[in-house]
Amino acid sequence: MILRWRRVLLGSAIAITTALTTPAWAQQKVLRVGMGADISGLDPHRASLTTDKGPVGWMFNGLVRFPPGSANPDEIEPDLAESWTSSDNGTKWVFKLRKDVKFHGDWGVVTADDVVYSLTRAKDPKRSTFSAAYSAFMKIEAVDPLTVSIELEHPVPGFLGLVANYHGGNIVSKKAAEAKGADFGKAPIGTGPFRFVEYVTQQHAIFEKHEGYFRGAPKIDRIEYRFIPSEASRELAFSSGELDLSWGRREQRWIQRWSKQEGSVVDVFQPGEYRTVHLNTTMAPLTDRRVREAVAHAINVNEIVAFVGADVGPKGCSVVPSGYLGEDCSAGTYDYDLKKAKSLLTEAGFPNGVTIKSVVSNSNAQLPIMQVIQGQLAKAGIKLDMQVVDHPTYQELSRKDASGMVFYGAARFPVADTFLSEFFHSSAIVGTSTAITNFSHCAVADKQIEAARSEGDPKKQLASWADAQRLIHQEVCAVPLFNLMQVFLRSDKLDYGYKLTGALNLVPPITERTELKK
Amino acid sequence: MTAYVIRRLLLAIPTLLMMLTLIFVLVRLVPGDPAITILGDQATEQALSNLRIELGLDQPIYVQYLDFVIKAVTGDFGRSLFTGRTVFEEVLLVLPYTLELAAASVLLAALLGLPLGIVAALYRNLWPDYMSRVVSMIGLSLPSFVTGILLLLAFAVNLGWLPVISKSTGSLAGHLLSLILPTLTLGITMMALIARVARSSMLTVLNEDYIRTAKAKGVRSARLIRKHALRNAMIPVVTVIGLYFGTLIGNSVLTEIVFSRPGLGKLIVGALNSRDYTMLQGLMVVFAAFVIAVNVITDIAYGFVDPRVKLS
Repeated sequence: MILRWRRVLLGSAIAITTALTTPAWAQQKVLRVGMGADISGLDPHRASLTTDKGPVGWMFNGLVRFPPGSANPDEIEPDLAESWTSSDNGTKWVFKLRKDVKFHGDWGVVTADDVVYSLTRAKDPKRSTFSAAYSAFMKIEAVDPLTVSIELEHPVPGFLGLVANYHGGNIVSKKAAEAKGADFGKAPIGTGPFRFVEYVTQQHAIFEKHEGYFRGAPKIDRIEYRFIPSEASRELAFSSGELDLSWGRREQRWIQRWSKQEGSVVDVFQPGEYRTVHLNTTMAPLTDRRVREAVAHAINVNEIVAFVGADVGPKGCSVVPSGYLGEDCSAGTYDYDLKKAKSLLTEAGFPNGVTIKSVVSNSNAQLPIMQVIQGQLAKAGIKLDMQVVDHPTYQELSRKDASGMVFYGAARFPVADTFLSEFFHSSAIVGTSTAITNFSHCAVADKQIEAARSEGDPKKQLASWADAQRLIHQEVCAVPLFNLMQVFLRSDKLDYGYKLTGALNLVPPITERTELKK
Repeated sequence: MTAYVIRRLLLAIPTLLMMLTLIFVLVRLVPGDPAITILGDQATEQALSNLRIELGLDQPIYVQYLDFVIKAVTGDFGRSLFTGRTVFEEVLLVLPYTLELAAASVLLAALLGLPLGIVAALYRNLWPDYMSRVVSMIGLSLPSFVTGILLLLAFAVNLGWLPVISKSTGSLAGHLLSLILPTLTLGITMMALIARVARSSMLTVLNEDYIRTAKAKGVRSARLIRKHALRNAMIPVVTVIGLYFGTLIGNSVLTEIVFSRPGLGKLIVGALNSRDYTMLQGLMVVFAAFVIAVNVITDIAYGFVDPRVKLS
């Protein structure tokens, strides 16, 4: 009898405690996402880390958008703008906005002023990381409350990508951005299907559905975006059902292992981060084109691709990543040919081989590949003297010209101009006042890159880009390796509501249609 | 005692100042540009340069140092270069998690380690002693990240009793449940250490003349251990607990990573990776202050454990 009463009392106590301590949202549809790092900020015009870009994509819209699940510029469709027109030469664009699109919270509806403010902000280097891409934006004007006109200095390749839901194209609330100033990234206001709720350092960011979303209220009520740096812990959390979506490892064996697990789905999608070895043409012995060519012929790209895995790292054939508008492989690739490599070295006056210095990041995505390359080069008598440092040090030293060979991975807007301008135009040479990431000091294709940038005729534009790639190939400024795809692991209960083949923000979009099925 | 505490705190000021200077110089000697970390690799040199000016990184080092020291004296450690929040705000956000984990681990370690060490000493070279030594050796040999993963596999994945990732939202019960495994992970090592120190300290005390005298006078065994042996054997144990508690912030970083818990250790590693100078400086001050405070508390605790110890 006493035992029964004890049980009743214990049961009641547990029930009361649970009722008191279980929050209301516990009954909601909560999507739990596990990422490998903390976010640095959620200002769409500043967000450059993968962990930042994902949530930015859930909170913001552009004038136009990449359909969810696509990274193909040819499929761009209306977003905040319901229609647009452009002048014949592509230098004047007029966008008609949708009516009554609500910002999150009490920040009103989207007007042309918000669009003008946002694009002007994206162009300002003091407030935007992506200002360089907007340098041709000459005039951005509100014609009326629902019409925006943009005048360009010259036609811009892939212009619609600059006003899409990606990087600087995201539209912010003018009132909110002005009111919050530098703190806008801590509590951003957009128009997307999810609104920012809370951020706890090292722990999580919380987003809730935007009831007034113009495409309809999302099916998911809340997103818990968890920062879990340990990959083992992320996997264990996924296995125990504590995560629905998790950052994956970009490795073939990992993908195969998880694809076989019941209840899990592995998504491999574009854009890949294109891995290239840049050869510093101003650092001896790489000043000699024959030595650079020897290096290119001593690197066995097929072996590297086999090491990474063909599904996750398909081989590249040009310095412009595969699938980008303007990619041209007509120059061919550097065949793996040790004999040729050795004879080129001898011809260049180095019969006993050469030593090349390289600053290498200790990150998992870089060091193992560079170790493979080091082994391959050794066979041709090329000693790769690697200085292994942490990633921030690698970033800084690479920009200070401390490296003869720079291994670099990047994903950009999928148009040839982005890669050619940032990596192979002389204005982007590291160490200069306009530097970006031209580590090779390549300056042989400026004319072609510039001509393509302002060319109105798509055929001529493609021809200029092809010329540029051929020249860069001949000069051996870089050796293209492979395209490292994005990998995410999800529960089979998570239905995106679209087919995922690409996501420019590098994280699967969570839209109003995404749902968690029982 | 008050005079002692005040003196110790005053002595801490030059220590802190030296530490500040050392940290200020060291973090700037390490290559790595915070502006690139913040703006990403697509930023132009102009944008990077603007940000360096905005963050004051373009100023000469001595100007940055003086600015830092003057502000630090008034309790202003500046803003994180990375998140823009004040260092104070960031520390306050994670400090409760660190203190909670440290206190829970120390408590667990003391509750298990002390009896284990005492029993081992009392039954020297008998099976309880062997068992205790084996347990402590295992505890000391297992790295915390291995212990953490093993515990997760057993209790979270296979048995499903406890969560893998620590809950920062939700019920109090959920929060406490998610504290169990990290506490065990950190506590096991410390328990092993306490057990070893308690055993050897007890053995020394048990061989003292006054213990033999007490035994000869017929003092009962339980009283002999509690009143005479244990109190005297506690001083080295208190020292170990104090020292370990002080270094727990650094040691807990792997546990924080494995269990996805916020904490000062993880904040330090994050700040180092992103070259967040101001955050690193602020955190080092907190860390130093924490170690100094624990040392003072340990010294005071000696007086309680052994009244012969006078703080003068």
